[in-house]
Amino acid sequence: MKITFRIWILIIVLVLSLIAIRPSFESGVLIKSVDRDSKIAEEGIRQGEIIKGVNGEKISSLEDYAKVMNSIFSTEGEKRIDITTKERTYIILTNETPKIVVGKISQTNIQTGLDIRGGARALVQPDQELTDSELKDLIDISSNRFNVFGISDVKIRGVSDLSGNKFMLVEIAGATPTDLEDLISQQGKFEARIKDQIVFVGGNEDITSVCRNDATCSGVQSCTPFQGGYSCSFAFTIYLSGEAAQRHANITGSLGLDSESGGRYLNENLTLILDEEIVDELRISSGLKGQATTQISIQGSGQGATQEEAFENARSDMHHLQTVLITGSLPYKLTIVKLDTISPVLGDQFVFLILLAGTASIVAVGLIVLIRYRKFKASAALLLTSFSELIIILGFAALIKWNLDLPSIAGILATIGTGVDQQIVILDEARTNKQSNIKQRMKNALFVVMTAYLTALFALIPLYWAGAGLFKGFAITSIIGITAGVLITRPAFADMIRKMEE
Amino acid sequence: MTETTKKGWYDKHYKKLLFIPAILLVFSLIFLFQFNAKNGDLILTDVSITGGTTISVFDAKTDINDLKQGLSLEFPDSVIRGISNIRTGEQQGFFVETKATPEEIRPFLESYLGYELTTENSSTEFTGNALSSSFYQQLRLAVIIAFILMAIVVFVIFRTFVPSFAVILSAFMDIVFTIVLLDLLNFNLSIGGIVALLMLIGYSVDTDIMLTSRILRKKDVSLNKRMAGALKTGLTMTLTSIVAIAISLAIIFNFSETLRQMFTILLIGLGFDILNTWVANASILKWYAEAKNLG
Repeated sequence: MKITFRIWILIIVLVLSLIAIRPSFESGVLIKSVDRDSKIAEEGIRQGEIIKGVNGEKISSLEDYAKVMNSIFSTEGEKRIDITTKERTYIILTNETPKIVVGKISQTNIQTGLDIRGGARALVQPDQELTDSELKDLIDISSNRFNVFGISDVKIRGVSDLSGNKFMLVEIAGATPTDLEDLISQQGKFEARIKDQIVFVGGNEDITSVCRNDATCSGVQSCTPFQGGYSCSFAFTIYLSGEAAQRHANITGSLGLDSESGGRYLNENLTLILDEEIVDELRISSGLKGQATTQISIQGSGQGATQEEAFENARSDMHHLQTVLITGSLPYKLTIVKLDTISPVLGDQFVFLILLAGTASIVAVGLIVLIRYRKFKASAALLLTSFSELIIILGFAALIKWNLDLPSIAGILATIGTGVDQQIVILDEARTNKQSNIKQRMKNALFVVMTAYLTALFALIPLYWAGAGLFKGFAITSIIGITAGVLITRPAFADMIRKMEE
Repeated sequence: MTETTKKGWYDKHYKKLLFIPAILLVFSLIFLFQFNAKNGDLILTDVSITGGTTISVFDAKTDINDLKQGLSLEFPDSVIRGISNIRTGEQQGFFVETKATPEEIRPFLESYLGYELTTENSSTEFTGNALSSSFYQQLRLAVIIAFILMAIVVFVIFRTFVPSFAVILSAFMDIVFTIVLLDLLNFNLSIGGIVALLMLIGYSVDTDIMLTSRILRKKDVSLNKRMAGALKTGLTMTLTSIVAIAISLAIIFNFSETLRQMFTILLIGLGFDILNTWVANASILKWYAEAKNLG
């Protein structure tokens, strides 16, 4: 069979799609994020590197990595860890597992969405209408907050819907932090007050730096029994700007001494308030009266039924407070209008089922066509065309880095389904009405294909915007699929059938 | 000989055949009108539209019936279903749908199961009331706009009123009949289900367009022959679609609620499409073609 121009185009696009998908067979584990303040980060290890071995042991899967790390830290004390990545070897001495998040190496460039690989998705609505630039500010501050908190695999973007409402869409891949809701929507308006005067607020204008990840000036200190459970207190140091320090001097200068404490403290407390709730009240020692102090110790506590729980709560509250003090408050009150946390547990099985459903459907359709037309070549061409369509959609999705989520997958399945319909139009047109020539008949068939394409295309367009873009995936994969169909696969299929008929 | 008698019968009675879809349509519209008056909406909706929570728990050992009884006391509106593995058929977990918030339902499940729900053992999807109503309105609007755009394309391409109208009517009836059947089955539509109704617009017009184009554009053989040819092609098209969707539905049936609902709705819609294309649209077209002497 002569390979026509249109068939050549199909072949070239197929090859390009496969290049875009780029299957890889590399073994190892991928570093998905590195804690900025960790020892390993100081050694220069970077996100995106691939770990091949640890302490001489070969690492080819996440299980290997977990096993090796567990065996290294099965005993207490400082350990030497040699991490060999594709590029080089990093050596660190540490008494805890390296602060990196590892994940599977993706086998292809196809990116799967949260529905498959797990993660969290939150749609957040501000309490007032925002302009585009206000929304951008909000996104910047939120991104910063996630970074400071130590979550790097996060995507935040503004979305709007058909009625012009603006939302912030937050997507976090992998494990979901337990206090995600606070992190996303808490306004984080921090104030330190004496009486009703503000001494300083959160954010880098008043606070020049916050001590964290340094045990000498930050940490959970002591735990004591409290109301049938436990309470652990934390403290960390912050450094104030000159201006804020001066404010402190002016306000404390006018305060008297507290007689009950024998004059050791001033008669007013420094009250720490987060989103209109009191975090803690700190006594101010009399020596600070009228002083422009730049160094302040922030304290608080966490409670729990057991000591471990209280400790963990105190640690997480501290981390949270530090984050808010560094990043400052969000300019708007936010409401989480949709929050999905998807477990990665069934992801692999889901992919398997989708592939099974897709393959079984295409093969079944091929069989029907074989039985109906009794032409092996034509059925094979139909199968081939359907599979090429699938590859082109996946290739294009990989190229534009589209995350394949559940709506996207539904879109792909639907497109392959309608694609088959149109191929049958072509096949039938070729077989029947042999009075007119095959070229004319193919033209007739392609007219139907084109009309069906236009109706489907226009029907899909509104879906692109509806529902804050959460169904965009469906519209995107379907539009890619039907467009590839009408421009590339169907004309090629028509040529294949024409050549078979001639 | 049988062929000619068949055609003879069809030639005589094709206009009467139109009564079937017409009566169905009238009854459907009356039904929907009453349904709307009673329920305040044309369809029944699930928590992804009304607002609420879906929690999937991956626990193979839970006795779903026992949990169902416990749940129905505390959360009377809740729905529970099992999730099972296609390869082994074994239970892999279950999911609970309720109008309650995650904060309300999660402690109940945790105390029943005796462990904490984390992302390792569960997925949670929550839609707030405010969002869900606006989502739903927009999706409805999207379906309506999609339908109108489809109608415009059909009119622009065929440029004749009756045939274009027949295509659009057929798509309209596909959606109406599907909604009526879903209502009769007490089917609670999710957002995915509404997207499926939108997909139905695209799926269902394929056969109508093919039929119309065969009747109007080609005049090489007799009208009845053209219709018979189109019928063969069209039934193969719909059959392949139905088989492909039925297989996919069977595979994901106990796994993904969203896809299960989408495929079920498509399957129902395609079933109605056979009636609407080959009885309603075909008869209107034949009537038109004979009146215009396109035979």
